Amino acid sequence: MGANENSSAKPRVRPIVRIGIFLISHSNIVSLICFLAGVLALLLLPVLAKNTYISENALMPGSANNMLSTHQVSDASKFIKDLTDLEFRSTTSPIESQKLIAQYMSALDAEVTFHKFYPQFSQFHPPHFFTSSDSGLIAENGTCSSFGINTIGIIRAPRGDGKEAIVLVTPYNPNKVGLGEAVSLGIAYSVFSLLSHVTWLAKDIVWLVADSQYGEYPAVAAWLREYQAPVFHRVDEINRETCNASTTFNELGQGLYLDGKLNSDFRRAGTMAAALVIKVAEQGNQYEDSLNIYAEASNGQMPNLDLINIVNYLAVHKQGLRIKVKKMWSLLDSRWLNALGVIFESLGKIARSLNPQWKFGIPATEYVEGAATLASSLYYQGLGVPTGPHGAFRDYQVDAITLEISPKVSLTKVIRRDEFILRGGRLIEGVIRSINNLLEKFHQSFFLYLLTSPSKFVSVGVYMIPFALLVAPLPILAAYLHANASNSTPQIPSASEVDVRHKSWKWLNSARKVLVTHLWGVVVSLLPLVLCRIPNTTLTLNFVLWGLLSAFSLLILYLILGCPIFEAAGSQHEKNKWASLKSVTISTTFIGLSLMSVINFATAEIGALLIVPICLLARPLKLDIQARSWRTLLRASCNIALGFVVFPPISFVLLTGAFEDFYGINVGDYWNWVESLWAWNSATYLYVGVVHLPCWALCIHILFHPC
Amino acid sequence: MAKKKKVSWFWTWVIGSVVLRLILIYFPENLNLSSRPEVSTPLTSLRRLAEGYWLKQLSVSPYAGSMYHGSPLLLTLLGPLTVKRIEGQPDHLLCSLVFVIADVVSAMLICAAGGKLQVAYSSSLQLLGLRDLSENSELLPSGDFAALVYLWNPFTIVACVGLSTSAVENLMIVLSLYGACSGLAPLAAFGWVMATHLSLYPAILIIPLILLLGYGPDAPPRKLFWQRNSLEVGTSSDICSEEKAKNQLKVADVFSWRPVVSFLLWTLLWSSYILVLCSIYVQQYGGLQELFKRTYGFILTIQDLSPNIGVLWYFFAEVFDFFRNFFLIVFHGNILLMLAPLALRLNHRPCFLAFVYIVISSMLKSYPSVGDSALYLGLLGLFAYELKDMQFSFFLLSGYVGVSLLSPVMHNLWIWRGTGNANFYFATAIAYACLQIILVVESVSAMLNHDRTLTKLCAAKAPPSMVAGISSSDYQNILLNAAPFFTPLLLPLHFPPPFPDLTILSLNLSKT
Repeated sequence: MGANENSSAKPRVRPIVRIGIFLISHSNIVSLICFLAGVLALLLLPVLAKNTYISENALMPGSANNMLSTHQVSDASKFIKDLTDLEFRSTTSPIESQKLIAQYMSALDAEVTFHKFYPQFSQFHPPHFFTSSDSGLIAENGTCSSFGINTIGIIRAPRGDGKEAIVLVTPYNPNKVGLGEAVSLGIAYSVFSLLSHVTWLAKDIVWLVADSQYGEYPAVAAWLREYQAPVFHRVDEINRETCNASTTFNELGQGLYLDGKLNSDFRRAGTMAAALVIKVAEQGNQYEDSLNIYAEASNGQMPNLDLINIVNYLAVHKQGLRIKVKKMWSLLDSRWLNALGVIFESLGKIARSLNPQWKFGIPATEYVEGAATLASSLYYQGLGVPTGPHGAFRDYQVDAITLEISPKVSLTKVIRRDEFILRGGRLIEGVIRSINNLLEKFHQSFFLYLLTSPSKFVSVGVYMIPFALLVAPLPILAAYLHANASNSTPQIPSASEVDVRHKSWKWLNSARKVLVTHLWGVVVSLLPLVLCRIPNTTLTLNFVLWGLLSAFSLLILYLILGCPIFEAAGSQHEKNKWASLKSVTISTTFIGLSLMSVINFATAEIGALLIVPICLLARPLKLDIQARSWRTLLRASCNIALGFVVFPPISFVLLTGAFEDFYGINVGDYWNWVESLWAWNSATYLYVGVVHLPCWALCIHILFHPC
Repeated sequence: MAKKKKVSWFWTWVIGSVVLRLILIYFPENLNLSSRPEVSTPLTSLRRLAEGYWLKQLSVSPYAGSMYHGSPLLLTLLGPLTVKRIEGQPDHLLCSLVFVIADVVSAMLICAAGGKLQVAYSSSLQLLGLRDLSENSELLPSGDFAALVYLWNPFTIVACVGLSTSAVENLMIVLSLYGACSGLAPLAAFGWVMATHLSLYPAILIIPLILLLGYGPDAPPRKLFWQRNSLEVGTSSDICSEEKAKNQLKVADVFSWRPVVSFLLWTLLWSSYILVLCSIYVQQYGGLQELFKRTYGFILTIQDLSPNIGVLWYFFAEVFDFFRNFFLIVFHGNILLMLAPLALRLNHRPCFLAFVYIVISSMLKSYPSVGDSALYLGLLGLFAYELKDMQFSFFLLSGYVGVSLLSPVMHNLWIWRGTGNANFYFATAIAYACLQIILVVESVSAMLNHDRTLTKLCAAKAPPSMVAGISSSDYQNILLNAAPFFTPLLLPLHFPPPFPDLTILSLNLSKT
């Protein structure tokens, strides 16, 4: 690989190669531009959001007149009254309400079954991400005494072949039926009673009354697990022999005189086309009836956009409900965002004055609202924790959303309540009728999107751009450092021409270091598995233990794998070591971020915002301080500040502080957060442990590199 | 003393890898590796083998349905082990142990072959008078290195723990290479016949095996020996050294037919033996014809289009039926097309030639798995000294890491989450194929560069008048232009032209 040979061949360089060389040789300026452009593009996303549209033609929302009438509503009202009366009676046991629901269901000629489940308390299962569903997961800690009972009613479609179904879910707590829950049951009941005699139904309707005394999600998840992936040697088989707690369950079956309509076995109704979780907020806002949509499932998965579109279309255009999605309220009155909005607005005006065809720019208030919604969309997707019981459906590829309807006035007034039920019921009826038209499962519209308002979205093609710009400097800088490190090798004077040994393999030593650090990351993320087994610990103690053990394991790994036998090969070129180490670090960060962007885009985006600057800037402090120019000192101080900010617990505190408030944050909160992440099998947890933390550690190592 | 320490280190690492495998074997449910498309293909899946064994036990043809497509010999060897369960131990424990043993034996064979290659190579360098170079080449024990690379390669571990029979196939290939390296024609013949019988593609290795038996292990280009020889003859006056030089010539350049003929005879013997065994096994179920149809026919006609890490499944899922035969010929011809030019160019390095053939076939074979990559990455370690200047090594490593992590994620996105589609997964397969192409192109060009350096060093030792004839520019040009041999590889896949040359890059950098 003599240099003279290549210089003779140089004139024949292809243009694309030349561009690559140009980019790499100017990597500093390129990475600065790319990073700034990435941040700018991220801020521009609310401007670039498109209006939603219904992509699937078969849906035809709102093309039929609503059939739900006051007749069904008065039935529902009676149902609510019975349900709430039950609450006031002193001597009732919780199963009375289930009996009541089952009686009402069977009066509508529906098939009624009960599903008993043991709530599964979340466990630590990081490897289960790649295997689809955790069907092998068996509740080990479900005790005999604590079990819930779901009530399920199924209407068979007169026009269907029983192979498809639409699911309605109403979570409710039988021990304490609140008015909101009762009304949500009433809405579902009114729709259910309508659907029991309509002729157009082509998909079976499953109404799941989920027993939410142990949480809404576990109940729905347990039913879905039984529905989709039954396990035949289940725990309750064993439990039936060991404990007699199931007597109440049996009593429930016997106590009902349902003319043989109660089915003791588990009933199914084909593949699910979609699922709607209906909730009613007890006290909503004072101005108008509104509808909150929750869509985020585990690991940032979203239901098909068409489902949200139908609900949005019907709610706004047919029922006149005000529709909302989650927002970061703290961002709404942040000054810099408002200023940015004003700037974008004026830029848009200028653009329009130049050419009326350019429809660029939105009003500043709309921009701020869009940005706040986008931030919350990113945050909740990035967290990887489902925002409601609909998240359980997404694990089985069923599109589902939670609709939380909040009334204008208190629900205690019967007349207002009936009106409210009529509106809600008609909305649900319209959505079901629309889904009923579907010929295949939802596939037309987007699965990967961020919402900036209920009727605006940013699709994957657009939101990938800021991310791509953010991470683009990483491979460029890595290539630059790598080329530099392997090029500027000081020639050993005595060596002959061939003795530049292992020139292209010098990076192996740095790669070993990086590998060890990432192994440490794996160890750190597995430590809570051990720690949560320790009884009687507080959150803070857990956190401190975790930190100590992590540091200890780092020390051990360093001692095992840092011993001199590995160092022997590449100790000569100490000077360029940090550069090659940085290049390997950056490449692994790039791989990790790209990987994460496929698994959960929002996490990768937030992670890139945090980790990319320090990856780009990291340089040994010693060198910077020795140089003593204001530029290097600035860089050194930036590095130190970033090094603090990027450390996961500190960035967690800063982020929560920014979005919520600083009051009452203690270190235990971080443990809490981590615990919730692994409880929900969130890939974000793995990202923080295996990618973010090691990269941070390596950057710190580079900062304090003795060069 | 130092050597002893090194040897003990080597064994520590070997034992460590075995222990790691045993630990992983005890978590089969958590890892669920045996159902991954990257690990188990229709040919190498142990579940299919167990199914075939059950069919056989029920007196049905093991090839009934479309479950099993492997060799009947494997069925008799591993079949009984699949049904044997030990209480309290994971299923398929015995099979896993067989695969672990196969891995370790392969590694030992690689190690032994590497030792032989190294000795031969340094002695031939000494013949050329490049003493310091030969000392240099002995610094790194490439055999041990290659063996450890093979054992600790995550691909090998995954294939072993994932119960893929590719461990056995790899063992056979390595066995044949070892046999040829150490001049044991019967062993080489047995390995080759078995490997071909198990997975068909190793059939192309007959060329490097014959070269290896004929010419001996890898050596510098033969022209250098001629040159050296004539140099010695020209300069030396006494008869003794002339004798010596003639001996050298013999050593370097004589294609000895004896081992080759014996290899071919043994091949004939072994293959007829295996055919007889197979025909006894399948005589009730349609005989050898049915066997060939169900195994080799299945490999060549690519009937199973379930996704794997190769590129062919996607292509043949898309292609129109009336073009299918044509493209089958094109894709298999692609491998055969490569053989002759590479054999001509690299005939002085048969082991390296075998490595290149293995890479190419594992890239273009119909049902590739990570087990194939494990083999060629292990063999790559054998040439650690010659390839020390290989370019893009870092890029390649990052690429392999990235692709092997991305591929399961894309598969998850497509199959389980339903938010992706087949193109997502296929994109990683394309990237993987690209990486393999870059690996093969770069390793071959690094090897040719190494040859060029040797030529230059020899020329520096010879008086200028002698050199002019050999190291003229056209010779170097031929060497430089070897890379276009690989362009046919790129054609069917529409790949972009090769990547920027880092040396040019570094030149530019030093200017700025």
